[in-house]
Amino acid sequence: MNSVFSEYKDFIQEGDLALAWISRNNIKAITIEKDGVFNTRYGSFLHSGMIGKPYGSQIAIRTKGNNKFAFIHILQPTPELWTLSLPHRTQIVYTPDSSYIMQRFNCGPNTRVIEAGTGSGSFSHAFARSSNHLFTFEFHEVRYEQALEEFQDHGLIGNDDAKSNEAFKNVTITHRDVCENGFTIKQTDKTSYKFAEGEDEVKINANVVFLDLPAPWNAIPNLDQVISKNEKVGVCCFSPCIEQVDKTIESLIGNGWTEIEMVEIQGKQYEARRQMERTLDDALIRLKDIKSRKLEGVERRKRLLEETMNDISHEEKTEDKDSKRPSVAKTRYNPFGKGQRIKEGDSNYSWLQVTKVESEIKSHTSYLTFAYKTISKERDVELVSKLIENSG
Amino acid sequence: MTSQLDPLKQIAFNQFVILKLPSNNWKIVELRKNGSISLGKFGAFQVNDVIGYPLGTTFEIYYDNTSDITENEDDSQNKNKNKNKNNKIPVGKVRIMEEKLSESSNNNLDEGEELKNDIPELTNINSSENNKHLINIGNKVQKLTMAEIENLKNKSVSGDEIIAKIIDSHESFHKKTIQSQEKYLKRKQQKFAKYFTVNYLSGSALLEYFLAKGDQQRVMDMSQESVGMLLNLANIRSNGTYLCVDETGGLLVYFLLERMFGGDTDSKLDGKVVVIHENEHPNLDLLKYSNYSEEFINDHVKTISILDYFEPPTVAEVNSTFTPFSKEEIKELKGNKRNAYFRRSKLYKSQLDVVKFATEVKYDALVVTSTLSLPSLIPRLAENVHGSRPIVCFSQFKETLLELSHTLYDDLKFLAPSIYETRCRPYQTIRGKLHPLMTMRGGGGYLLCCHRVIPAPEPEQLVATDNKDPDVKKQKTE
Repeated sequence: MNSVFSEYKDFIQEGDLALAWISRNNIKAITIEKDGVFNTRYGSFLHSGMIGKPYGSQIAIRTKGNNKFAFIHILQPTPELWTLSLPHRTQIVYTPDSSYIMQRFNCGPNTRVIEAGTGSGSFSHAFARSSNHLFTFEFHEVRYEQALEEFQDHGLIGNDDAKSNEAFKNVTITHRDVCENGFTIKQTDKTSYKFAEGEDEVKINANVVFLDLPAPWNAIPNLDQVISKNEKVGVCCFSPCIEQVDKTIESLIGNGWTEIEMVEIQGKQYEARRQMERTLDDALIRLKDIKSRKLEGVERRKRLLEETMNDISHEEKTEDKDSKRPSVAKTRYNPFGKGQRIKEGDSNYSWLQVTKVESEIKSHTSYLTFAYKTISKERDVELVSKLIENSG
Repeated sequence: MTSQLDPLKQIAFNQFVILKLPSNNWKIVELRKNGSISLGKFGAFQVNDVIGYPLGTTFEIYYDNTSDITENEDDSQNKNKNKNKNNKIPVGKVRIMEEKLSESSNNNLDEGEELKNDIPELTNINSSENNKHLINIGNKVQKLTMAEIENLKNKSVSGDEIIAKIIDSHESFHKKTIQSQEKYLKRKQQKFAKYFTVNYLSGSALLEYFLAKGDQQRVMDMSQESVGMLLNLANIRSNGTYLCVDETGGLLVYFLLERMFGGDTDSKLDGKVVVIHENEHPNLDLLKYSNYSEEFINDHVKTISILDYFEPPTVAEVNSTFTPFSKEEIKELKGNKRNAYFRRSKLYKSQLDVVKFATEVKYDALVVTSTLSLPSLIPRLAENVHGSRPIVCFSQFKETLLELSHTLYDDLKFLAPSIYETRCRPYQTIRGKLHPLMTMRGGGGYLLCCHRVIPAPEPEQLVATDNKDPDVKKQKTE
């Protein structure tokens, strides 16, 4: 089976992993089954109503109770949408961080990545999309099993080379404590890697390393055995505390990594909203309106007072009780809809377009410490002199 | 690959690379065989001497002695400089720079804030605990005159030697604190050191180059983190067909190609970028720096003007202009006729491509960096985007995306437009002195991302009780 993550699909098919978009903060992964039902607080959606429709389709139902319409959208998963839908087994790496790391390392079909630990597999999906191979390591056995199953379900596990232009089954997951036992993968290890005949140890040859570990400095010394020897290799350590950064830098320097730089990424999301345009003139007119009604009231009260003073009998008094109150008609001029429920954007009012930042921002995810290493800074002298001699 | 160098890993001939200079400036050069490259005050070197080393290597330029300096004759890139014989930069030899010196070299350090632990000059010189005895008497503390320094430079003494002499002749250097000695040294190194790093010319490096040159406008004030996020939000992969508007002279397309094919001109992956352009001809000038062959670019980058895209000819119209010959007929064609035939055939094929990409293809993402009015542009371009695929728009200004966002809200073909901002804050990364940079470039732009969706058809009318306000069905469940 090809992966829904690596192949662009046109139609929703039975057996597909799809994402049901209920709202911005509510995206659910569902596996499409013939008799399946997807329940939301707005109503139940039958999978049979989705099968055969194009991806991206809005699915509409009428709710039983009040006969209203309810909608969801069925999307094909992408690593970014998957990240939003994830059941959080651990802290996850969000798109602003992961996309920066991938860009800084110039990730593409030549990238061979080491990732430790796997965690919820959020970043793994993004790496798998844009690299030649991802070797991911998880030390927690239950999380390893969960991630292995998930990657298998998603069609990511495999040895295929991305260059073969077949399904991008390019993920290997290994159960390992990389701080204690390093990154080499052998036949006896608990790994998803399929060894070829005579192959005893995986040639990892990583040129990108991402360490999301509590103590990356313990894993850094183990990297030399598995990184590519004849090219520049990048490492990024993802640590929430500055003390961890300090120890990481110490270890990087001690192990010959250079160009060390730590950065922070701050991501924000804005919603497009509207603010009512309320002019000074309207506010003035409203006050004038209030003032004029006040005057009316004063005059009315004066009149009533005069009437009571002069010529009022007991009978009349009880009869006219209500009319004697200085009541005035309700607000005549209400330019801003005060006291009414105005929906944002109501066409009876004028509106200004504004951006509203999300109500809770991720003010800190982690510090990203980058460094580079080239193990062998040599050149093939014979090859180079041959190239120089050749005409051209 | 054993008989050839891999231009993605190693420094190879006929490749464009980006050089980082001690001043933290960048220079893009093409590595021509037997050529030499001048770095101005930082010296000059022979291209052949750096070929074959891994990309990312730092080289030091050194001069054995002044007598056997070869003149910089072959340098085709600096012809105009040769007019002035006195300014000719002598070509030195190169050696790989010691690890410890490149160790803390860092793109984004505040000027002069770099720590050099093992610099011999500093360990031999006394330093002060504070600046109590340091009096600013201007240039008088420096016993070397400008003329003498110029003379040293002309004699091509190595950068380290010049710096050592300057420090020797600095009367109050020992009165400075160790930190300020380091700062002083760093400043002098930026001026006199003769080394350079040969880097792979990635999209990010190209962007960095324009930003360092102060050419923000050309790249629409884009930052590496914004474009990185654009690529991920748009779910760019090696096998997609993407619709793209790029007003940055091809930088966005360069980023897309790097992500899709990793610079590999022999890649068998079949993704495509269809570039819609505003003028008669596209401006993808920056692709000249890429290592892709012309053939590769023709296969993977299709360009169509907005007129051809929105008002394409029909297949019948295209066919009426040209009838392909049979193989036998082509074989018989000779000379000019043959050339003319192939010219017309090429045009014919490109017209058929226009029809195909304007009408048939459903795109796997729409990515846009354009200053055209977005509310008028995006909905029309999105017509040919497949359901469930991302639409990502970069803009220098949030307000333009805000306007677009409101337009897309009113259209059921777009799911939940959101405006994103991402900013990178680099730190001075020195143990014991960690802090964010004191100043940095502002800006970096914004992204709008949404997904193209397919609205449900008018739901079937239920029995008479249906007295719903027609507006209700337009509301999404969110």
